[in-house]
Amino acid sequence: MGSRRTDKADVLQGTLILLVLRTLAALGPLHGYGIARRIEQISKDLLRLNQGTLYPALLRMEQEGWIASKWGASEQNRKAKFYSITAAGRRRLAKETAEWKRMSSTIDRFLGFEPENLAGERG
Amino acid sequence: MSWARAATARLSGLFRRTRLERELDDEVRFHLDMQIEDNLKAGMNQSEARLAALRSFGAIEPMKERYRERRAFALVETTAQDIRYAVRTLRKSLTFTTTAVATLALAIGANTAMFSVVNAVLLRQLPYRAPEQLAMLWTGMPGQNLQGRPAYQTVEEWRRRSKSFADLAVVDGVSMTLTDSDGAEKISGVRISPNFFPLLGIQPLQGRSFSAEDADERRRVVLISHAFWQTRFGGSADAIGASIILDGRPSQIIGILPAGSNVPGFGADVWEPHTLFADWDTRRVSRNAGSWIVFGRLRPNVTVDRAQSEMSAIARVLDEELPAAERNRGISVVPLSLYVVGSRSRLALWMLTGAVFCVLLIAAANIASLSLARGVGRAREMAIRAALGASPLRIVRQLLAESVTLAAISGVLGSLLAFALIRLIRAFGPDDLARLNEASLDLRVLGWALGISLVTGILVGLAPAFTTFRRNGRPSGEEGGRSVSGGLASRRIRRALVVGEFALAIVLMAGAGLLIRSWWRVEGIDPGFRPERVLLMNITTNALVAPARRVNFYADVLEQVESLHGVESAGMIGDLFISGDAEPIVTTEGDGGITSGRLRLRLDEVSERLFATLGTPLHRGRFFSATDGPDSPPVAIVNDAMARHLWPGRDPVGRRIKFGPQDSNQPWFTVVGVVGDMRRQGLETEPIPQLFQPLTQNPSGNEILLVRTSANNPLAMVGTVQAAVRRVERNLPLYSVTTLEDSLGIYLAQRRFLTSLLIGFSLIALLMAAIGIYGLIFYSVAARTRELGIRMAIGAQAGDIFRMIVGEGLQLSLTGLAIGIVGALLVGRAGSSLLFGVTATDPLTFATVALLLTAVATAACYFPARRAMKIEPVVALRHT
Repeated sequence: MGSRRTDKADVLQGTLILLVLRTLAALGPLHGYGIARRIEQISKDLLRLNQGTLYPALLRMEQEGWIASKWGASEQNRKAKFYSITAAGRRRLAKETAEWKRMSSTIDRFLGFEPENLAGERG
Repeated sequence: MSWARAATARLSGLFRRTRLERELDDEVRFHLDMQIEDNLKAGMNQSEARLAALRSFGAIEPMKERYRERRAFALVETTAQDIRYAVRTLRKSLTFTTTAVATLALAIGANTAMFSVVNAVLLRQLPYRAPEQLAMLWTGMPGQNLQGRPAYQTVEEWRRRSKSFADLAVVDGVSMTLTDSDGAEKISGVRISPNFFPLLGIQPLQGRSFSAEDADERRRVVLISHAFWQTRFGGSADAIGASIILDGRPSQIIGILPAGSNVPGFGADVWEPHTLFADWDTRRVSRNAGSWIVFGRLRPNVTVDRAQSEMSAIARVLDEELPAAERNRGISVVPLSLYVVGSRSRLALWMLTGAVFCVLLIAAANIASLSLARGVGRAREMAIRAALGASPLRIVRQLLAESVTLAAISGVLGSLLAFALIRLIRAFGPDDLARLNEASLDLRVLGWALGISLVTGILVGLAPAFTTFRRNGRPSGEEGGRSVSGGLASRRIRRALVVGEFALAIVLMAGAGLLIRSWWRVEGIDPGFRPERVLLMNITTNALVAPARRVNFYADVLEQVESLHGVESAGMIGDLFISGDAEPIVTTEGDGGITSGRLRLRLDEVSERLFATLGTPLHRGRFFSATDGPDSPPVAIVNDAMARHLWPGRDPVGRRIKFGPQDSNQPWFTVVGVVGDMRRQGLETEPIPQLFQPLTQNPSGNEILLVRTSANNPLAMVGTVQAAVRRVERNLPLYSVTTLEDSLGIYLAQRRFLTSLLIGFSLIALLMAAIGIYGLIFYSVAARTRELGIRMAIGAQAGDIFRMIVGEGLQLSLTGLAIGIVGALLVGRAGSSLLFGVTATDPLTFATVALLLTAVATAACYFPARRAMKIEPVVALRHT
């Protein structure tokens, strides 16, 4: 589908999806604001996203069948849309997590090498 | 992927301001409110809290736009996925796909072709300005389908009194002789009042139309048809102002009409002012002489019904002013479209459309049944997909995508087939069905093809989708297992489909049966003459032979022809097959003295041996003979119908009759003979009273020459006969050469078209119903192998099994039969005017059809039942 334009967003979105799935798996059903707050809390505000970008991502995840949504009442008894993770979402989470771990350990290892080690490796 | 974006934009447009949109608004507002609240708690003031919330949320509108795009795009994306997957699935099961596509393409093709005919003949508007305002006016009681032609003065009265009509135009057809350097030729002309073309809304392509002065001063000016212009003048502009010789006198061409401006039934080469009749002075003033066809244009917002009631009132007033004998007995107003294609043709076309649609339904039922059988096998696949997280809606969409893809492929192939079928229909369809040759694959027809393809696709896909989710809305893995005898819901639906197929098939079969019986009845009718081995051609002496010379001229022609080897006899008649329904006033001598009245009758001049040539029997008196010369007292022969009508139970020979009221100065005819009735308006129309006078006493310019040959193929004699005629006059126009059997056959063309198409449709329906029941029973035997094995193991005999299986099939077919017969009775009543000599409830037809269908159903069940008998209990039990 892709035009070049969206490549960067896709990378970001991939991360976002992982975070959302993780959040929902850990905390159970949450509304959009709750998810955004949770992500900011956990990342200690290091990951500051435009909270608005969360919603298209949530829609996509719902279309993929990873999460489900339902209108309900918030803590203050206001009407809010609650998102929860599905079985497919849990599988996706497992897969993404494994991939992320593999990826980050690769990067870790890569970053752990000193330049001479790299040269030694080559030599 | 610009198409994807374009589609996205288009689709997202559809979603604006929907429930989903409001929900997004709610969600965003909730988010912001929550953030503001938290910000307030963190100690910000109201406006700070609000600004901070908006900042951390980011731009709202671009987000919503992305959200909408995403929402719409998913639809396109998943649909594309569905179709890709559908194509893959269909390719995997090629046998199923081929069968389904072939069946549906045939049905869709036939439906599309039929619809193109309906579209051309019934739906497409006539090519005139506001054609719905155009109507024909006839004398005669409305609803009796009499097309009586009024005299000129009568039309003038109508025009003066009527408020419903903006204008009335009069028309009368003539046969004319065109003379040029190549010789003489007969052409057809129509004489019209100058307002005729303006009334229809037709402008000449070149030149001008008639003016009032053209008519008043009786100028010899003509308009020519587009075809005439092309063939005679090669489409040259020089035609305007050119002179042509019509009936021996020059006429000037003043205009050329556009192609396709012919009124069906009034196809002409040239048009002249209505005042050019030789007897115009008489025609203009008389209430008897001359008979006109009247076209009217209704005023805006006046309905045909309102015009009809006004004209009926006018007819009553006018009749009161006339002596009883001269009354016109009503005026009937007929919409032009109904005149062009009569109600019977309309009914026949709608019936055929319904029939071919039934074929499509049966085809769709068969394919639905087939995919149900597949669906049971695929239940596992569905269960797995559901377990993997596919939503129920997604699976239903997948199943629908499959069947719609199937139907779309069939639709494309069907349209190609329709293209060929339309050509066939145009080539072999009835010539007398107006505008049939305009049938084509236009946008409306293609739209219809697309529509029925989609509906078929959805119908075919719905049944499997329904059974998949019958249980708790989730597919269950067990149903696909072999432990259950194959999806109960699915079996129930398939049985219902088979019942439906049989019901539809019997409606079609019964309709075809009734039409076949009607056909036999019509074929068995005695036309009142012997049509075999008779050659028929028109001759025109208008321009070539002066009236005074014609008696001898015709005698010479007949003598030349009769002297030929291979000719048994020859005769002439003014016109053989007739459409006119003149209702002139006649005065007759009877036992009770002299009486007058209007009588629907036909007068023609005939030569001495015409009746002998036709083989029409003489019932009383004598034929015309050489003694009935031009100067001897006027004599006449009447047919049985006329004798019965005027002199019931009396011998008409010797009595006298004349045209016009008692004081008219028309000559008296003395009746010298009575001949049998001839059906001269087609086999299905009762003969009207017919009056004949000797050719010698009225040698008109147009005659039909009939030649009874001894050859089996009379057309082989055409050259010889033409040569003999041309020995008398080299330039004599001879045209419309045909055989009597063929001319009679034209009247049967529509019935043949209707009957043969319906037979074809019903045979296809029968075949498909048979395949449907065969498939069901075959599948049922296969699925019940274990059960049958057990039955046999505990002592059931092969015969019991056979009876059980065949019984299952018969039960279904008989249920369908019962439903179908009720349907057939209803349809038969609606279409009873298409039948001839047989009632819509004809027991023989119904019994035959019921027996035939039962026999076919039994045969279709026989083979699976044989298979069931051969099941080895041990193998069956082990197999499961």
